[in-house]
Amino acid sequence: MPSDHHKPPRQIGGELVIPILAVGFTIYFFSTIWNSPWTAQVSAFIVGGILLLVCAIFFVRAGIWLVRGEGTLGVGNLFTMDDIRTGRIGLLVTTIAYVMFIDTLGFTLMTFLFLAASMLILAKGKNAGFITMISAAMALTGWAVFIWAFDTRFPRGWFETTMKAVLANG
Amino acid sequence: MDSSTASILVEVFFETIGYWYIIVPTILLGLIVGGIPGFSAANTIIILMPLTLALDLQSGLVFMISLYCSARMGAGIPAILVNIPGTAGAAATPLDGYPMAKQGKGQQALAISFVASCIGGLLTTIIALATMPILARVGFYMHSVEMIVVMLFGISLIASIAAQDMVKGLIAGFLGLMIGSIGTDVVYATPRGTFGILELYDGVPLIPALVGLFAVSEAFVIIEKRVIVNHDGEPKTPNWGDTFDGVRIALKRWVHIVWTSIIGLVIGVIPGAGASIASFVAYQQSRSFSKTPELYGTGHPEGLIAPESANNGVTSGTLVPLLVLGIPGGATAAIMLVVMQFHGVSFGPSLFENQPKVGYGMFMAMAVSYVIMFLTILPLSRYMSHVTTIPTIYLAPMIIAFTLVGGFVPREYMFDMYLALAFGVLGYIARRTGYHVAAILIGVILGPLLEKYFLWSLKKSDGDIMVLFSSTLGNILWVAFALSIILPIVFGMRRKRKFEVPAE
Repeated sequence: MPSDHHKPPRQIGGELVIPILAVGFTIYFFSTIWNSPWTAQVSAFIVGGILLLVCAIFFVRAGIWLVRGEGTLGVGNLFTMDDIRTGRIGLLVTTIAYVMFIDTLGFTLMTFLFLAASMLILAKGKNAGFITMISAAMALTGWAVFIWAFDTRFPRGWFETTMKAVLANG
Repeated sequence: MDSSTASILVEVFFETIGYWYIIVPTILLGLIVGGIPGFSAANTIIILMPLTLALDLQSGLVFMISLYCSARMGAGIPAILVNIPGTAGAAATPLDGYPMAKQGKGQQALAISFVASCIGGLLTTIIALATMPILARVGFYMHSVEMIVVMLFGISLIASIAAQDMVKGLIAGFLGLMIGSIGTDVVYATPRGTFGILELYDGVPLIPALVGLFAVSEAFVIIEKRVIVNHDGEPKTPNWGDTFDGVRIALKRWVHIVWTSIIGLVIGVIPGAGASIASFVAYQQSRSFSKTPELYGTGHPEGLIAPESANNGVTSGTLVPLLVLGIPGGATAAIMLVVMQFHGVSFGPSLFENQPKVGYGMFMAMAVSYVIMFLTILPLSRYMSHVTTIPTIYLAPMIIAFTLVGGFVPREYMFDMYLALAFGVLGYIARRTGYHVAAILIGVILGPLLEKYFLWSLKKSDGDIMVLFSSTLGNILWVAFALSIILPIVFGMRRKRKFEVPAE
């Protein structure tokens, strides 16, 4: 039977993030309903009260693990050097950029740039030609289906405006 | 059913089959829009409204119904293959569908889902057709008190999901319920927990929450692996055998399909309730009364059958109040109402007297759509399952790009894309630290509904909490709810004792 003796200590720091966020959000939520009519308070106080209680139980449990040396306040289960190696941090940066600039550059161009940049980061720069081709194909397919065919109100920019003018003038 | 009704049904059935050239492409369209979060049958019919209005009545009807059914089924495909439910109605599908895909059983899982959806949809269409006058009255009996218990049936799934680590599961579930409380209260419209952001006054929109919690967070997790299928998953060369295996597994559990689809039908009949509630309730009930509840969440076929047959049962359910009472049971049914009224169709009790072919035609269109869907989609499962073998370096960015922008579609606020990203970060933290994202999502979906019915009940009774036990049907549902919680525990203890006896 394998022994737990050499089992690495539990990374409680990472596990505490959600309960801490939950407690902070619940307290903020309570502050917004403190002087409100009872209809706005009743279910929030019931749900928030239970949430605070289970978070308190978790904090006590985490404290016991820490005291017993079964856990540490490390956050290794959330952030590691692997996040840089696998390109996760790079993907996060490109994702934030995608959301920030899609309104300015438009769906098609921004999708192409995002796909190409993200795939290149994840592929560590390999297959650049294939990635550029597949990114362009995906972005153009998205444009053709969602904007040209379905006329959805996806964010529009230079490319969409140009194509609209081209198609309108035959 | 008299002979004239039977002859109308037969006539309409064959007429509807004649519209196969509309049904087949619509099914393919429905699979696409159902599979992309943010799109749905409802907003596709709106987008294609000029086309729908230009078609003649029968063609328009067949188009809308086929799109409705196939979009419902399509939502389950990405839920199984990449852990991204296309709509909130498929939010319970990945609980067991995705583990199957990771084990290299994606093709089987798709086949199971298609069979459960088609049989569930077809069966409930027949039941709805036969029991329309009775079913139509269900909506009258389901008031806010009764709806509270229905919501609790779904919310109790949090406890099941939390079984492995109860404290963490409850934190995730109740955090979801708190997030679901964001927005104005339903009685006095007092803003709560909105951080002063106007876009949150209507509450947290479901699609950005779903996109973030499932799709974005999943994309950031899967890049650790080369492909979605686990290294220890079965080696995969797609073959017809897996599809037939999936069909066999599903058909073997036909009783399961029947009763979970009936749950969907009954919930679908209630105006305002929807596929998400039905699929959570069906999953929870399926797990509660299963002989192998411990297998749920690990890739158990029954855990996949339950939500899929239930959410397809909802489709026929929503048509009942629409046709018989003129009250749409959901968003898609409401849009159908508008289109049909444009064509001069007036819904209500007189519909089956004045225009019986239209009334029965809608159910026949649904039945024919399910039959054609079964024949056309099932063979595709072999090819669809290839998604799980696409390298994640290509798949993850595609998931992020097309789902994030899908978060924008329902309300067309740029804010919703930021919100989806924020939920993505929350989902990623939750996944990495052992909190269940499905528990958070259940809270976000069902929390506001529960609060709404709870406040309505209290408002009607001047704050008397005993109103919750004031109706006969409500009390019956309370007893059923208590039994659904207690009986599985009793059965589990009995099974444990039975298992321990030979060891003694």
